[in-house]
Amino acid sequence: MKMQAMNGGNFQTCLARSEAVPRQAVTFLTIVFRDLWRRPLRTALTIVGIAIGIAAVIALVGMAAGYEKGIVKQLDVIGIDVIVSNMEGGLLPKAFDESIAGKIAALPDVAEVTTVLMQMLSVEAAPMIMVSGRAWGGFTWEKLEVVEGRLPIDRAEAAVVLGTMAAEMLGKKVGDTIQIETEEFAVVGIVDGHSLVENGAVILSLPLFQQASGYEGRVNFVDIRVPAGANRERIEALCRTIEENFEGLRAVRSSEVVGTSQGFKIAKAMSWSTSLLAIIVGIFGVMNTMLMTVFERTHEIGILLALGWKKRMIVGLILCEAAVLGVLGGILGVLLGAATLAILGTLPEVRGLLEPDLSWGLIVQAVLIAVGVGIASGLYPAWRGSRLSPSVALQG
Amino acid sequence: MSPGNFPKPAPVVFEASALKKEFDDGRVAALQGVDFTISEGEFVALVGPSGSGKTTLLNMLGLLDSPSAGSLRYRGSEMEALPDPSRYRAREVGFIFQAFHLLPTFTVAENVQIPMFGQGMAPKVRAARAAELLDSVGLSHRLGHLPVKLSGGERQRAAIARSLANRPGVLLADEPTGNLDSQNAVQVMQLLANLQREHHTTLILVTHDAEIAGHASRILRMKDGRIVSGGTGG
Repeated sequence: MKMQAMNGGNFQTCLARSEAVPRQAVTFLTIVFRDLWRRPLRTALTIVGIAIGIAAVIALVGMAAGYEKGIVKQLDVIGIDVIVSNMEGGLLPKAFDESIAGKIAALPDVAEVTTVLMQMLSVEAAPMIMVSGRAWGGFTWEKLEVVEGRLPIDRAEAAVVLGTMAAEMLGKKVGDTIQIETEEFAVVGIVDGHSLVENGAVILSLPLFQQASGYEGRVNFVDIRVPAGANRERIEALCRTIEENFEGLRAVRSSEVVGTSQGFKIAKAMSWSTSLLAIIVGIFGVMNTMLMTVFERTHEIGILLALGWKKRMIVGLILCEAAVLGVLGGILGVLLGAATLAILGTLPEVRGLLEPDLSWGLIVQAVLIAVGVGIASGLYPAWRGSRLSPSVALQG
Repeated sequence: MSPGNFPKPAPVVFEASALKKEFDDGRVAALQGVDFTISEGEFVALVGPSGSGKTTLLNMLGLLDSPSAGSLRYRGSEMEALPDPSRYRAREVGFIFQAFHLLPTFTVAENVQIPMFGQGMAPKVRAARAAELLDSVGLSHRLGHLPVKLSGGERQRAAIARSLANRPGVLLADEPTGNLDSQNAVQVMQLLANLQREHHTTLILVTHDAEIAGHASRILRMKDGRIVSGGTGG
């Protein structure tokens, strides 16, 4: 039958008589993947290029988010309603006179006040650890659950308690001593503070830490609890009163600390801007790949145009290929980023300070960015491809 | 004999008038005022030496290129004014090239499906039609093969199957036997001639070969960008 048409048989009959044949259906996606697969190494390298950018997004933003999340949880656990701090400073605000706490305590809608001096210090084996000096008897001691040993007896005892993770990082147990700046303290207890920041901290009485760190009479946080039933408006009014009466201080509701902190804003901006650089590198990588693809396939694009493919189908094909590179790069980038976060979380410089946070929101955001990178990178090559003249393109 | 007894003339498919094509900012004149008509169902051979403008003319008939001056009409409509050139290339004409121009990373069956994209056909329908077309040109055993695995004659038959994908009324063949040995050339020409006859397809074929041109119902001779004979159908 097959040669009937060639030998003068009826072509129509031939078509009608064809029996069950293998169905090798080709779809638009088949074409897309086939095109990408023809240069597997280049495709793989492009995907890796995007993946590195996306991994940077995941790692940097995940770290910033982890830090944010840790602080929020800490404030929530301790039960702080309003935090007063200096407007100046980086991640930790500048210290100010602790006598202000007494004046704040006298304001209406203030139920309890306590003071804290918090510093990031290099302590023995830990290159960077949170040291928290707390006013003795203040509510910031309330939620510390002793898992081993005890709390200091009084404000004058030269003793510290360590958060569970801090003890692990420092390699200390109850009965050991620890040197903070030039002073030596006894480790009298290991505590569970129910949040990463608390568990990663060295905690001692405020006057002892003020003396050891050279900040006598100064604190960098006044933590406030408001009376039960105080609504948001009353708390905000209290914040305004504090800011009006104490120049240079900022009072914010604990739920807004992260959002209003200059330090957090800077950290977030830095993580995103660094990620942006990685993304821009990714864009140029994909654009280069897609342009090379268009140049190499000029002849084939000519064939497609000659066979009746519309210019927008050519554009769609190139954009789709770029988007697939983006999706695959995004998925690989999320996996790489998650692995990087996991590794970062174990580093001594990071442990106890923050718990890297890889949320679904961040994953979706990262993959969408990768797809956007792919499509944006494909726009110019797609435009170039669609402008080819069929007759010129056919000549290759 | 009353006038009503005369056979009705076939509709004109292509009509060219003072058609010109220049390249390189007018320094190369590929077509220098060409006039011709081609009617439905005709088998026209475009013959002439290299550089006489045959392929340029064929490209314009396929809307792969546009004229520099003059008029070229398809079924009464100015081709340059056709609203959708890609639709014309997809549905009205089928191309057969000397170099086959099969996509190397796609199987023979997939290559035949390529022109069916954007024509509102489901993938399975496309696959079935491709299989039928390939069966009709004697390539049912080659559906899953890449073009590189095929002989020249098989590749050209696959290309012919592809040209028929959307049931075009016009086939444009540019030296379809130019890369084939004599035996395959004869087979391909028989296939094309049969297709043209059975479907009343308008076949316009560019060739150097007088024997190949002998299959045509009309020979349109070109020289130096002009038609020197056969410009008017009979």
